[in-house]
Amino acid sequence: MSGTSVLMKESSKTKDSQSDFQEMSAIIAAASQVIAPLWPISTFAARSPWLGLEKQSFAGVASWLKETRDVDIYPSALMILAAKRKGEIDEKFVQRALQQWLDSNSFPIPRDEAERFCQAALKLEPLPTELLSSSKLEQLVAHLHELNSGSGGKFTMQPLSSSIENQSHERLINILDHHIIKWCKLYLDDSQAGWTMPNREKGFYRAWQRLIQYDPALSKNQRQSLKGWPEKPQTALKAALLALEISESEIQPYLEGHLLSLPGWAGMMLWRSQQSSAEQELLTEYLAVRISMEWALIHPYMPLTNERVAYKASIASLLASWLHWGELPMEEWLQMSDAQQQAYLSFASIFDDQLRRKIWLEAWEQTHEERLRQKMISSQYKTGHKKTPLAQLAFCIDARSEPFRRQLEKEGPFETIGIAGFFGLPIATSGLGHTHSHPSLPIMLKPQHKIRELAEEHELQLYQHRKQAVHSLSYTFKTMKQNVLASLLLPELSGPWLSLQMAARSFVPRRAGRFLRNLREGWLRKPNTELSLHHDDKREVGLPVGFADQEKVNYARQTLKMMGLTKNFAPLVVICGHSSQSTNNPYAAALDCGACGGAAGGFNARVFAALCNLPEVRENLTYEGIEIPDDTVFVAAEHRTTVDDLEWIYVPKLTEAAQEAFARIEAIMPDVSHKANAARLAQLPQLQSQLKKPSAEAKRFAEDWSEIRPEWGLARNAAFIIGKRELTEGCDLEGRAFLHNYDWQEDADGALLASIIAGPGTVAQWINLQYYASTVAPHYYGSGSKATQTVTAGLGVMQGNASDLLTGLPWQSVMATDFEAYHSPLRLLIVIQAPSEHIERLLKTDSTFRQKVRNGWVRLASVEREGHWRNWQPYTINELLNEPYKERSE
Amino acid sequence: MFVSLTMSSLMIIFLIMLIISGLSGLVFLHPRVPISFVRVHIWIVALPPLISVLALTNTSANGQIGPWYTDSLAWLMVFFVLAIGFIIQRFSVRYLLGDRAYRKYFTLFTLTTGAASMAWLSADLRLMVLFWGATLTGLTLLIRLNHEWKVVSEAAKVSGRLFLLSWLSLVLAMVWLFQASGQWQLSSALSIENLVLLGNWERAGINLLIVLAVIIPAAQWPFHRWLIESVVAPTPVSAIMHAGLVNAGGIMLTRFSPLFNGDIASITLLILAGISVLIGSGISLVQVDYKRQLVGSTIGQMGFMLIQCALGAYIAAIIHLILHGLFKATLFLQSGSAVRRFEVSNRINERASYLWILAGRALGIVAGVAFWLMAPGEGYQLISALIIGWSLSVSWTQLVAFGEGRIGRSVGFLFLGGAALVYVMIHHLFYELLQTTAFQSVQPPMAVVIIVACLLLFGSAIGAWIARNQSSVFFAVLYLWLVKLGEAKAKSVDSHPSYLEQYLQKGGNQ
Repeated sequence: MSGTSVLMKESSKTKDSQSDFQEMSAIIAAASQVIAPLWPISTFAARSPWLGLEKQSFAGVASWLKETRDVDIYPSALMILAAKRKGEIDEKFVQRALQQWLDSNSFPIPRDEAERFCQAALKLEPLPTELLSSSKLEQLVAHLHELNSGSGGKFTMQPLSSSIENQSHERLINILDHHIIKWCKLYLDDSQAGWTMPNREKGFYRAWQRLIQYDPALSKNQRQSLKGWPEKPQTALKAALLALEISESEIQPYLEGHLLSLPGWAGMMLWRSQQSSAEQELLTEYLAVRISMEWALIHPYMPLTNERVAYKASIASLLASWLHWGELPMEEWLQMSDAQQQAYLSFASIFDDQLRRKIWLEAWEQTHEERLRQKMISSQYKTGHKKTPLAQLAFCIDARSEPFRRQLEKEGPFETIGIAGFFGLPIATSGLGHTHSHPSLPIMLKPQHKIRELAEEHELQLYQHRKQAVHSLSYTFKTMKQNVLASLLLPELSGPWLSLQMAARSFVPRRAGRFLRNLREGWLRKPNTELSLHHDDKREVGLPVGFADQEKVNYARQTLKMMGLTKNFAPLVVICGHSSQSTNNPYAAALDCGACGGAAGGFNARVFAALCNLPEVRENLTYEGIEIPDDTVFVAAEHRTTVDDLEWIYVPKLTEAAQEAFARIEAIMPDVSHKANAARLAQLPQLQSQLKKPSAEAKRFAEDWSEIRPEWGLARNAAFIIGKRELTEGCDLEGRAFLHNYDWQEDADGALLASIIAGPGTVAQWINLQYYASTVAPHYYGSGSKATQTVTAGLGVMQGNASDLLTGLPWQSVMATDFEAYHSPLRLLIVIQAPSEHIERLLKTDSTFRQKVRNGWVRLASVEREGHWRNWQPYTINELLNEPYKERSE
Repeated sequence: MFVSLTMSSLMIIFLIMLIISGLSGLVFLHPRVPISFVRVHIWIVALPPLISVLALTNTSANGQIGPWYTDSLAWLMVFFVLAIGFIIQRFSVRYLLGDRAYRKYFTLFTLTTGAASMAWLSADLRLMVLFWGATLTGLTLLIRLNHEWKVVSEAAKVSGRLFLLSWLSLVLAMVWLFQASGQWQLSSALSIENLVLLGNWERAGINLLIVLAVIIPAAQWPFHRWLIESVVAPTPVSAIMHAGLVNAGGIMLTRFSPLFNGDIASITLLILAGISVLIGSGISLVQVDYKRQLVGSTIGQMGFMLIQCALGAYIAAIIHLILHGLFKATLFLQSGSAVRRFEVSNRINERASYLWILAGRALGIVAGVAFWLMAPGEGYQLISALIIGWSLSVSWTQLVAFGEGRIGRSVGFLFLGGAALVYVMIHHLFYELLQTTAFQSVQPPMAVVIIVACLLLFGSAIGAWIARNQSSVFFAVLYLWLVKLGEAKAKSVDSHPSYLEQYLQKGGNQ
């Protein structure tokens, strides 16, 4: 109570001046760099959890996360050793890195002793526990002073509540998290609950401020202390920080510590704050709620005694590591001078667990690069035959396209092309009868146009009615569920139907799934649709609908150039988006097209194909030197990645030549599908050793509601190859590479390359880092086991009873079993086929990309004119560009 | 003679099959047995429910064989529990693939559902107590399987303690009953001669113990915590818990029906179950987590089932518990589908002609009154009529009145008609099946029935009132209380599933 009154006085003294608010907003904006915005799971587009941290080096972020959150972002020793056993890591790279490291650092320790220590430590075996707990070690450590390692350079701050325990030995921060999770989910709920949170329309902070005084989850004293808490979030935040005695300079790190406690919920708040102006202060409100509650929880424990625990334990392990790995005799240790002992200990603390695993990770990555290089070089120049293709098929860069393309090329004279699956169209798509539109482009770009699917008025109306009739069932179900009396009858009414469905889905999953879908589609009978390609003069709110004439030509030209398809058109050009199909899978969107903002890519493919068929577009393209023969027809299809086949979604009237090509594709498709599925299913965990019908089994994977891994998605992705198809044609890249067509000779000014790197390159990097993070820190960056998830607020998933809103991929998407990882956590290797000058130019002009390479967020290699492979080491980037060398870790 | 012979041979075959499936579950535990054995195991597990269907269609004498019940209620419950168990095991084959406790899940599923089915077959008090204890143990072990995660062991602890209390209460009641009647056979212990011997306070004591024993597994207030905390269990475990085990109370009360005669125990049961209906519905109204909504709904539905029992509508309770079990199992298993991809198109025309809505209300009243008049003497009929009339009115509004265009309305009409038809048919089927079951229902006093009806109406009224008074303090307090009742304790919450990190660092033995 007394705390409150003091507080009130303080806050009225520091009058909420405008500049104060701005300052606070700036601090919050800076602090929010440590989290990444998180969007709803229904449009699960990959995001890198370290978006705002690329200014720092990967290694720097790794040690910072270890220190502040105890989150380790290097692969675990177990994972590394498993990879080594499987032959994925060549030990020569480990040796090379060790020698390099020893050479580049100097220590007052004999080189041979240092090396012996490192060699033994690099075996990644844990120190024996009997040594660590031995009394002798304890005695030795007792004499030692604290290690003055001078690591105090980086300032980190934990929430105060993390160091206090209540009477029942529960840490206060856990209680705080529990409260915050509750408030977040109730506020953010996307119409799942029958009763929404009271006062929600007033905003997060205001609603909380009104409700908190009645919350029975708090004790009476705690409720009292928050009664009359400031009306404005900024004021409340300031008051709470002041009451917690956080000094001005500590505010940012303190807020960072809080944001990192529940990065998922905070990330969702951040995302929401970017969506609408009404909620733009949402992150401030979140912090105000969180820190006010923290104060309410800990103020009985104030003032806090600031006791630092001496890290004797870690000194013990440093010494133990010398005794064990360095084979240092105890007597020798005792004879050393203080300074010598310090030197030994500090050496061990520098060559720590993280550094050792960093060396291994880099060796793993180098081995991968080495093998990829050999593969590509051996396949190069052997493809001499150059028949004119019967059809050209453009696929998304998605790593799953690669095996499918390979099978397709084997079966006939088809040329395949890789390009980002949104086909360069910055559009928001709106399906037939939808009022809502989906930004169908990489998540970091903004849509410029809206494309609608249209149908004839009368037919549309009937279609809408049919659709409503289907929806009315689920509406009725929900309404009855939320009505006390009706909910009691609901199980008896719907039970028989649901059990029928349950039985069918359990015993004939494939047929049941197909039957239900056919029933639905048969009933809906979607009418034939057109697209609103032409610019509509009617002014609508928001995005313009359709393209202006010149825009159509521009987009068509730009994308054709991106594909490297400006001459030698085949009679049939197939534009393939991709989609996946899975049942009962909250992560369904994660298997869709990342370049289309986590949705199927068919719509974009259709728009692009339709654009290229427009006579006026073709005519204008001719003036710019792109001559599409009259014979050539563009069609659109969707590559269904779960069952590896093509579904036609837009086939206009075909010319004779195009028809022939079309028929040919149809004819070989079962074979392609069979082979692609057989190869893919071999990677998925199976209970039978022999699969007689891979295509049928793949359909089972798609339709079975109990299937936990409908497909592997993009797991094991590791490289992004930008270059001609000849470079990779015929080599089995195991579905681990994103492929983008690129011909540097057609790109004199480097604009194409720059846009590939900025758009698709970033998408690939985000996907890669998301898989990486979900594998190395599944509890923090992944989303845990699917079996114990619950969907919350219609936005995302939580684990168990409640948890952070989980951000990454589920455990089962990266692990083959609880014991064995499937994904190899390697940072993306970008391979560009272009001369060095071009790469240098790219690095010079694109500072974001330069930063990524320099700080180790992606790896870079290039293939030069004569097929010479060049590796661009992060530390060479600066010298190369003649830039003053800046501190890399900050 | 012939009938009883086939029955006893069926019984023997059933027991053999059940033992084989249990053994198969145990064999699968051995690490030498390949994982693909699970496909064989699933077929073996399918056998006992098949036999029970056979038995179910063959019962004519509502008899007993030795210590076993062989009437239709027993076989129906056996079939229900085993079939749900079988479906959930089939689901787990793919769903849990790769889990470190993969084998143990199947063993425990088999043993737990096997024990539950034996409990419902038992006509001997000792056997029933024994098998029900085994079932509860099995369930606790299932919840506890991933105990390396601290929140899981916490949930298992909470559940285990409450189950123990429930079981001890049952044991005490049974021993007391034996003391009073000198019989271990349930039917003899509850025979009219023996019942007369029971003193009033003795009877009330036994009844109260039985009530305590059944409301705990049914997660009734104030013993609902275990169900709230065990949301942490994997989806298939939740499915079996909500579908097959929480509803044990309905069966037990039916078996012990001669004991209950509207005394203090019935009233206690009625009060607790009534409160639970309101709390459970409230939790599912305010919660936003899919699985937690289902938990709230289960608490409410089980409350309703117990109300039915307390009002003597035992067959209705059995029907409700079976259909609810299937309903809840399906909803849990498809909990992965709770994410909507993009919004469903906006709301249908709410401005629908008021006349259509009024017509729905009138129809609801007519149907309700008509239903009530079918058997106005039975207390439960009134409640049932109320619910049916109300539901009809609600679903009419949604399906027909809000239906868009002629298509919408006619489809809505069809759905409504179809659902009603199936509802009537299913109920008829169940009544046919269960009519031979021996139970005694005492008609509750009308006043009690009316109080229950008012309680339910009160719940609906609060809902309607709140829709208009969103910003009242009363709503804020009610809302926050319901949220609190539905939330797990802070101890059972982990902000990140940190056990996975242990998996990565320590690995384990495969």
